[in-house]
Amino acid sequence: MLPDFTSIPYRTARHTPRGSVRRAPWMTPEGTPIKSLYSEADLQELGHLDSLPGLPPFLGGPYATMYTGRPWTVRQYAGFSTAEESNAFYRNALAAGQRGLSVAFDLPTHRGYDSDHERVLGDVGKAGVAVDSVEDMKLLFEGIPLARQSVSMTMNGAVLPVMAFFIVAAEEQGTPLHALRGTIQNDILKEFMVRNTFIYPPGPSMRITRDVIAYCAAHMPRFNSVSVSGYHMHEAGAPADLELAYTLANGLEYVRASLEAGLNIDDFAPRISFFFGIGMHHYMEIAKLRAARCLWARLIKPFAPSNWKSLALRMHCQTSGFSLTAQHPLNNIVRTTAEALAAVFGHTQSLHTNALDEALALPSAPAARIARNTQLFLAEEADVTRAIDPWAGSYFVEALTGKLMQRAWSQLQEIEEAGGMTAAIAQGIPKMRIEAAAARKQARIDSRKDVVVGVNHFRAPGSKPPSDLMTVAHEAVLSQQLQRLNRVRATRGPIVVRQVLDGLRAAAQKPRANLLEWAVRAARARATLGEISQALEQEFGRHEGTVPLAAGAYLAESPGTSQESLALSDHFAALEGRRARILVAKLGQDGHDRGARVIATAFADMGFDVDVGPLFSTPEEVARQAVDNDVHVVGVSSLAGAHAILVPQLVEHLRTLGRPDILVILGGIVPQEDHNALLEQGIAAIFGPGTVVTEAAAQVLRLLLNEHHEPVQR
Amino acid sequence: MSAADYVHGIRQGDRNVLARAITLVESTHPEDRALARQVLSLCHPAPEETLRIAVTGAPGVGKSTLIEALGKRLVARGQRVAVLAADPTSIRTRGSILGDKTRMPGLGLAANAFVRPSPAGIVPGGVSHAAQQAIQLCEAAGYTFTFVETVGAGQSEVAARHITDVVLLLVLAHAGDELQAIKRGIVETADIITVAKADGTAASLSKTTQRQYQRSIRLFPPGPSGLRPRVLTCSAVSQDGLAQVWKAVEAFEEAIRTSGHLERNRTVQARDWVLQAATDALRDDFLQHPAVKERLRQMQEEVARGKRGPWAAAEELVRTYRCA
Ligand code: B12
Ligand SMILES: Nc1nc2c(ncn2[C@@H]2O[C@H](COP(=O)(O)OP(=O)(O)O)[C@@H](O)[C@H]2O)c(=O)[nH]1
Ligand SMILES: [Mg+2]
Repeated sequence: MLPDFTSIPYRTARHTPRGSVRRAPWMTPEGTPIKSLYSEADLQELGHLDSLPGLPPFLGGPYATMYTGRPWTVRQYAGFSTAEESNAFYRNALAAGQRGLSVAFDLPTHRGYDSDHERVLGDVGKAGVAVDSVEDMKLLFEGIPLARQSVSMTMNGAVLPVMAFFIVAAEEQGTPLHALRGTIQNDILKEFMVRNTFIYPPGPSMRITRDVIAYCAAHMPRFNSVSVSGYHMHEAGAPADLELAYTLANGLEYVRASLEAGLNIDDFAPRISFFFGIGMHHYMEIAKLRAARCLWARLIKPFAPSNWKSLALRMHCQTSGFSLTAQHPLNNIVRTTAEALAAVFGHTQSLHTNALDEALALPSAPAARIARNTQLFLAEEADVTRAIDPWAGSYFVEALTGKLMQRAWSQLQEIEEAGGMTAAIAQGIPKMRIEAAAARKQARIDSRKDVVVGVNHFRAPGSKPPSDLMTVAHEAVLSQQLQRLNRVRATRGPIVVRQVLDGLRAAAQKPRANLLEWAVRAARARATLGEISQALEQEFGRHEGTVPLAAGAYLAESPGTSQESLALSDHFAALEGRRARILVAKLGQDGHDRGARVIATAFADMGFDVDVGPLFSTPEEVARQAVDNDVHVVGVSSLAGAHAILVPQLVEHLRTLGRPDILVILGGIVPQEDHNALLEQGIAAIFGPGTVVTEAAAQVLRLLLNEHHEPVQR
Repeated sequence: MSAADYVHGIRQGDRNVLARAITLVESTHPEDRALARQVLSLCHPAPEETLRIAVTGAPGVGKSTLIEALGKRLVARGQRVAVLAADPTSIRTRGSILGDKTRMPGLGLAANAFVRPSPAGIVPGGVSHAAQQAIQLCEAAGYTFTFVETVGAGQSEVAARHITDVVLLLVLAHAGDELQAIKRGIVETADIITVAKADGTAASLSKTTQRQYQRSIRLFPPGPSGLRPRVLTCSAVSQDGLAQVWKAVEAFEEAIRTSGHLERNRTVQARDWVLQAATDALRDDFLQHPAVKERLRQMQEEVARGKRGPWAAAEELVRTYRCA
């Protein structure tokens, strides 16, 4: 007989959950327990509930109408090889429905080197577009009216020459400064923490940041003068609480620096924008974006702004490249969609969706199109733009938002107690915390606690890498850049260039001078990016990123899974008279160090003696360190595409130094079609994305045991 | 490579061979250790005009950074500088992260410098033993100044004194009352005390700390060199006080050379090392002996099963070794 539904009170259903609903809470990487059921009771102690989008503290969004007025801006980050090629790509993208431009520069540009500098030859045009002078910048925006097109530029270390080039390019297009719309990242603090394209030490770097903010406040009212970025922390391994806390702490540091420079809070705070990464923890990410707005308003309020816009956090978001896999690339479309949806539910102002081949190379044209369309589907077909703040009032999302705010606040407190973010960075606090989280994440994936479909669970055979990966014709790009550089140098007035560079140097000594003003003068005179950066380097020095590494986090997260490699490693040590010693090295301007540092710390946990080479080394320097430290193996981690040029050079230098016996192995983003050539050139093994570290360690040990079959004999 | 090959290479200044020779003296493998002793014998005697400088202090106090700063100055003056860094703080259960060299990016690449971080702790005889041997090798290779970085935690401070000529202790500025008890031990182990990281907001506090150390030190009799430690402040970052630290090192060297303490001290050290080296050799021989190897496993087994006590088992092993 059917129960009589009319006699069952509707509410009781919630009070008699089935057994499975009462499971022990799941612990997120942030250390937040997630219950299986939330109810009204969970809203009791939350202080943030009674607010509306468009009003402080902006929990639900910075604008009252949100997507009902206008959907978010589709803003895809892109750039590669030369200005001409990137320009063509941008124009196509704009024609195909993209709204905002977002420029990715190559690593030499990021690090303040011209394309002809000896330390960067392997990196030119590889992981972004090469820009050496105003001429390149003009080509980059040819046929794109800067008066109408908003442009975002990811530039931090070399922000002065790049902003100056942009300003002068616009000037020569006939666009007045005050009409320029867009965003300059100009967020140097997170470079020292995770992104690694710093040039000068923290002190002078902060001054540069401040000068750019002040210049924009004075001359470019529609331009976001800083984009405080948590995204890079997210991708480096920071859980949501750390990303949130450290981003806001960085923002706070910029606010303080600008106030100290004599600006008024309302002059610049409305032009601060934010940037967050969106991963697969769907609800956590929604909560993060809502929490960010609420906390920022709380942080800025004490500065007593009179413009409400000073309190409103506006943001860009990008889906997580880390979450994407090299295995079964098509699966990545689904991951990106889920992440994009979280960003949209969290009410981002603009969004980048990753391409399906993200873990293999820069996006190919078809992959880039699918990525762009993913947003168009959501915005145009899925009807997610019709109601404002759709998760408002959800027991779970609101409770999570509250919890996350609490956790982030206490992390923020730690930074404040250390004396603010600049001081905390000097003490290594944020990097240490983020790296420990990254090592734990790796251990959870390797031990299959965290599921990655198609990689550590639900593996399916027959994944073949897409055949049409994007490649950069390195030699052609390099020769084109060199040609254009030479032409610029040959056709400009040498005396004027010397004068403007002297002026820039002198300005560097005067704390009250605005360095961007001077950089603009230098740009007009056709001084190159390298020359401008070097002039400042003479005054400020170049920063060496040397942050020590701690061991232990990997093993602690998955003690059970390391047995084989530990045993092998002891066996090797017994035969060899010392532990296997590996130098984990980074070559060229590639600053991706998450993988290298995870490998280093995990290999130490696996019984290796680990030397960690400095970032930005040349092949010769690495060979030298390998020989001096007498390591058994050099493990290069390469993600920015310079491996084919730099790693064979390393093998060659080891040979020249008389140590061809030192093994060279390679990990990171190494396209399949490069493997054979590299193996033929003497690289002993290649480990790509998805490598299980314990297995890699065991394989390296087996290689060493083979190599040294009579290990005691020398 | 034979012992003669090693020594030839080292004397030629072949850093490749020096690097491998240091591996050799650090090796726990008995065959390596026998070869190591031969190499070391051939390297003897060490050149006289060398200086061995221990830099000690708590983890993170700034030892590596200071060595980088001082070393770069020496190298710029055409001197040859070796650095042996053994930082037991980096030791986990088995593997280690050898982080000191990342703090010495300039020296690590300088043509006239040789920087070698070593995993501490697992070497038989301890850090200082391997470091002492590595010093011999570096000096034979023509390095005039050898810095030995060790963590100043009780034992290793004393050990550092046993293998060097001058001990530079780094301390941090402290708020007044934390300092009251300066141990006599500090005066006995340190020849120069430097309040490190005396920059930024810590600068003035460092001066206070310096005065407190100076005052306390007067309460104790001078150490074995006959000199009371000098107390300085310096910053490896701003470079303030760096020249003074090095001047103090030079002044100390000058004083102990003139007084004969440097030579006497080295003689005493050498005498002490005889017994250490002999016990090591004996231990290697013992562990390597086939009869002992065989019996050792058996004895351990029996002890584990409660058939025998550990002492009786040890006696039995020694008996086996003697009779074999
Ligand atoms: C995280 C990330 C970042 C972070 C880096 C944070 C950090 N501190 O490392 C941030 C957001 C800052 C960043 C920035 C940039 N990135 Co990025 N980034 C990634 C991303 C999404 C993941 C890399 C990663 O860390 N994975 C996790 C680690 C653990 O994995 P892994 O490094 O692959 O290591 C594993 C294996 O490869 C192997 N392994 C690796 N090394 C070694 C070494 C040894 C000895 C062994 C045994 C094994 C081994 O074992 C590891 C464990 O499984 C990749 C795309 C992807 N999905 O891979 C893009 C990617 C590498 N980035 C890319 C680019 C272009 C950039 C930028 C240059 C963009 C720009 N123009 O501004 C910047 C500049 C960064 C810089 N300074 O160099 C491109 C490179 C393109 C190419 N190769 O052609 C990629 C491939 C994305 C893309 N498709 O466009 N990035
Ligand atoms: N402010 C300041 N920081 C320093 C100085 N010397 C070292 N440091 C910092 O202190 C930390 C530890 O330095 P390190 O040389 O590795 O210490 P060690 O463990 O004693 O070798 C690093 O973050 C250094 O940058 C200094 O003179 N002034
Ligand atoms: Mg050190």
